[in-house]
Amino acid sequence: MTGRQESRRLCAVTFFAKLHPGDVCGSNGLPLTPNSIAILGRAQKLKELQDEHLCQYLDVIRGKHERTIVVSEYLGLSLEDYAKRNPPLSLAQILRIFYQVACGINVLSQHHLVAHNLEPKHVLISDDGRRIKLFNYGLHHMTKGGCYVPFPIGNIRYMSPERLLGLNGNVKSDVWALAMLVVELVLQIELWPKLKLSNVIRKILAFGRSNGVLEKIAREHQCYERYVSMDKDLRQLLESCLQVLPKKRPLPQELLKQPIFESVLAELKKERDQEIQENQEHVPLLLRCPLSQIYHLWQLAGGDVQAELKKEGLIRSEAPILGLPQIVRLSGASVCPGRSQAQLMDDRVVPLRLKALLQRLSRLPADVYFPLLHSPRFPAHFARELQALPLVIREKDIEYQFQRVRLFTRLLQGYPHTAEQLRREASVDVPPLLRGPIWAALLDVVPNGSYCKIDKFTATSTDRQIEVDIPRCHQYDELLSSPDGHRKLRRLLKAWVTAHPQYVYWQGLDSLTAPFLYLNFNHEELAFLSLFKFIPKYLQWFFLKDNSAVIKEYLSKFSQLTAFHEPLLAQHLASISFIPELFAIPWFLTMFSHVFPLHKILHLWDKLMLGDSSYPLFIGIAILRQLRSTLLSSGFNECILLFSDLPDIVMEGCVLESQKMYEVTPKSITHRQHALHQQQPHSLDIGVTEVELKHLQLEQCPRISAKDVQALLLYSPSELALVDLRSVVEYGRVYVPHSINIPFATVQLGDQRLEALPVANVETQLRGRIVVCVSNIHQHSVEFSHFLVACGIQRTCILHKGFNVLHSIEPNILISN
Amino acid sequence: MATTPRSGGVGGAGTATRPNGTSQNKSCQFKLVLLGESAVGKSSLVLRFVKGQFHEYQESTIGAAFLTQTICIEDTVVKFEIWDTAGQERYHSLAPMYYRGAQAAIVVYDIQNQDSFQRAKTWVKELHKQASPNIVIALAGNKADLSNIRVVEFDEAKQYAEENGLLFMETSAKTGMNVNDIFLAIAKKLPKNDGANNQGTSIRPNGNETNRPTNNCCK
Repeated sequence: MTGRQESRRLCAVTFFAKLHPGDVCGSNGLPLTPNSIAILGRAQKLKELQDEHLCQYLDVIRGKHERTIVVSEYLGLSLEDYAKRNPPLSLAQILRIFYQVACGINVLSQHHLVAHNLEPKHVLISDDGRRIKLFNYGLHHMTKGGCYVPFPIGNIRYMSPERLLGLNGNVKSDVWALAMLVVELVLQIELWPKLKLSNVIRKILAFGRSNGVLEKIAREHQCYERYVSMDKDLRQLLESCLQVLPKKRPLPQELLKQPIFESVLAELKKERDQEIQENQEHVPLLLRCPLSQIYHLWQLAGGDVQAELKKEGLIRSEAPILGLPQIVRLSGASVCPGRSQAQLMDDRVVPLRLKALLQRLSRLPADVYFPLLHSPRFPAHFARELQALPLVIREKDIEYQFQRVRLFTRLLQGYPHTAEQLRREASVDVPPLLRGPIWAALLDVVPNGSYCKIDKFTATSTDRQIEVDIPRCHQYDELLSSPDGHRKLRRLLKAWVTAHPQYVYWQGLDSLTAPFLYLNFNHEELAFLSLFKFIPKYLQWFFLKDNSAVIKEYLSKFSQLTAFHEPLLAQHLASISFIPELFAIPWFLTMFSHVFPLHKILHLWDKLMLGDSSYPLFIGIAILRQLRSTLLSSGFNECILLFSDLPDIVMEGCVLESQKMYEVTPKSITHRQHALHQQQPHSLDIGVTEVELKHLQLEQCPRISAKDVQALLLYSPSELALVDLRSVVEYGRVYVPHSINIPFATVQLGDQRLEALPVANVETQLRGRIVVCVSNIHQHSVEFSHFLVACGIQRTCILHKGFNVLHSIEPNILISN
Repeated sequence: MATTPRSGGVGGAGTATRPNGTSQNKSCQFKLVLLGESAVGKSSLVLRFVKGQFHEYQESTIGAAFLTQTICIEDTVVKFEIWDTAGQERYHSLAPMYYRGAQAAIVVYDIQNQDSFQRAKTWVKELHKQASPNIVIALAGNKADLSNIRVVEFDEAKQYAEENGLLFMETSAKTGMNVNDIFLAIAKKLPKNDGANNQGTSIRPNGNETNRPTNNCCK
């Protein structure tokens, strides 16, 4: 026995992808995609297969020189070893194996996959000999039928005649291989153990001239008696599976219906019922969690697949000098010594041990493994102290991530019922493993099957643009640069354009879609619906054919908010005519996905998803703020150069800053006509169409609604400084308590110093507060707010509709004499 | 004559550093805009010219990007302020903001794409109509390294360029072929004694020049 099942549930295998000869470019002038990347893209689909008769795929990793490493589930031991250790197998056992392998093939064919490498090595059997899983069955798919690798897929001995003739992709070839595998067990032989490969091929091809394949095999292996004494039904079934013409062989689902398997079926059912009733206490809690989560934790705990392979001698390093070309022709072609391992497919399986991880997590209480969301004791206070640590540390902490992953797994299972709780937890942080579905939940996505109904194939006028943009979109990423990534991105973009006849494809939509695809690579629908919800939430009307009014309004609001939070910087940028039109369009049109690499976008959007449509504006200001000192000391050219090649922005700082600003800014300050308005505005709000673009462009400071002023007065008067610009007489008649009266007529606008104002200690009364300029002559408020910005007063705004609107607030807030 | 571009022309002021210590050099600044269909290699040309680099997967440009490069030509230091624009037709409405006031333009097409050549012709027409009348226009047939699968013939483009008074070269941002040369050819053709060649400030609506004290050309 090779150790207990628990200790080797994960394993890795490795092979080399085919190298492209030299520096070859495709017809578009771009270098050819490395085959290992193509494999990586295709293999993603396999990770989705979950079936009791299939070992689950967990990861595909690219090593150096086109090395590809596949991580998957492992079970017990291979049929090859099992048969050797327990000869001979009983008929019942053989039937069990036969049936369960057929189940595996059947599931594959339901997903339009074929194994094509079925052999005893790739059939795993649990230690108790009862459960069977197929292993390494995805090699044919991930290598595109062997196109991407320098070796053939499958063991010749089990290959059907048509495969030897080059016909691939027929599930009936797997049926043949299955039958051959069973024949070995029944006849207790090894197929042609001493023959050279070429002779094996000759043998198999010779079957074409005989009709009794099974009998022939039996005779050739000197076990005709066993053939004769074989169970009649089994013999018939095997003979039907070993028909030379594929169409005469049964399909896997037909196989499963054979009466011969009835007893197996009953047995399996009984066992399953027993299992449900049985107490599972002997299984460690961790092993009841999804394998993908276990693997993720294993990696967090320092698990390194490449190191494991090295330990087993599967990755050997060669002196680089041995890889140098021996001859280089002027044409660029070179002759290299063949890399010794590269030509070979080493099919050893390396176990990834979980013991350390199991021990480490065994200390955790059961309700961390299976959180009880609705129990009165929830929330568990587990790891609360860790939440104060920086995000990068939290993301690397095993116990913390484990707790988060388990918690969100539950929350996602309960979604949409748990939407509110999920949002609350997501505001703490988002575990990277589940980011895709969590974002979808934060965007209120509920998959409804609509995606598959959208036409993604009919040619349209935007195809050319999409076609040239995709190979330039986040191509440093392995998934997005794989042919499958390109195909999926194209489908998503076309679907989005088709689903929005009112909108058009703007360059940048590709970057915007990329993070969703990256996170939901196997769930195009989820990626699509996330994008579908994301755009109206943050980019309403941005993709109109004529979006100039929308963009202009957005950028004007950005300028206003910059003046609100960074008055001196805004003043400086305005003075050098460094307008947002010149640098911020790609920021906002793509929600920064065009400006930052994916790993930064993910953290940025984690927070963005929790905010409303104004949040991105604060991200923009946070970026300006981070570059503040450079910008303040630079002229136009330096500023624009700085942004053409955006320097390294510290994302965590940027996120924190933007969040802070977002929280302290009253909602009406961010009012935009073109934002998505879901509710009727309150009578004291700013009406949807009341502030036009020309106002935004003329007024450096944003307007605040009476409603927000009222809220500030009521709940946080210490954060408000209300500057009343009316005359002393008017002020004497009616005023807001604690407001500061600075009659506009007394202000010397030309003298931009606070000390020049006729009121003492203005600065201390204004600093750190939201300064609302109020007048009944709007122009006065505007001019005075400009004056305050010039003096560097933060958070200056203007009361929308002027002083008189305060009269309509109920209960009354004014004091009249 | 020094003809290789020097990096680091990021000074902003017109008094570019002298390459060879002679203090009698004149210095000029020119605003140059790149126009053309998307994915023809505008950004790649600029990147090759300014940084000597080439990225196979150069990202698409949204809105526009700005870079500068200084070259020496005879005894004059010429600083290019380069606006690299987005190629997608939809971004067309932004283009005037960039080419208005530009003294030079490079209209780029892809020699393996006929449509991009037609698009280039449209750009030339638009520039003749809308841009400054003295603008120096160069036509660049990019991706010349792929000339074995070309669609646009060299002679066809050359003839078109001659008829319309354009500078013309086939370039390759990938190999670097003719990239510096086309910028040099433009620099040579630009009037360096004409004080009017530095008025291209429409990109900055207020035209506030206080932060660029030495803005005038050729002092």
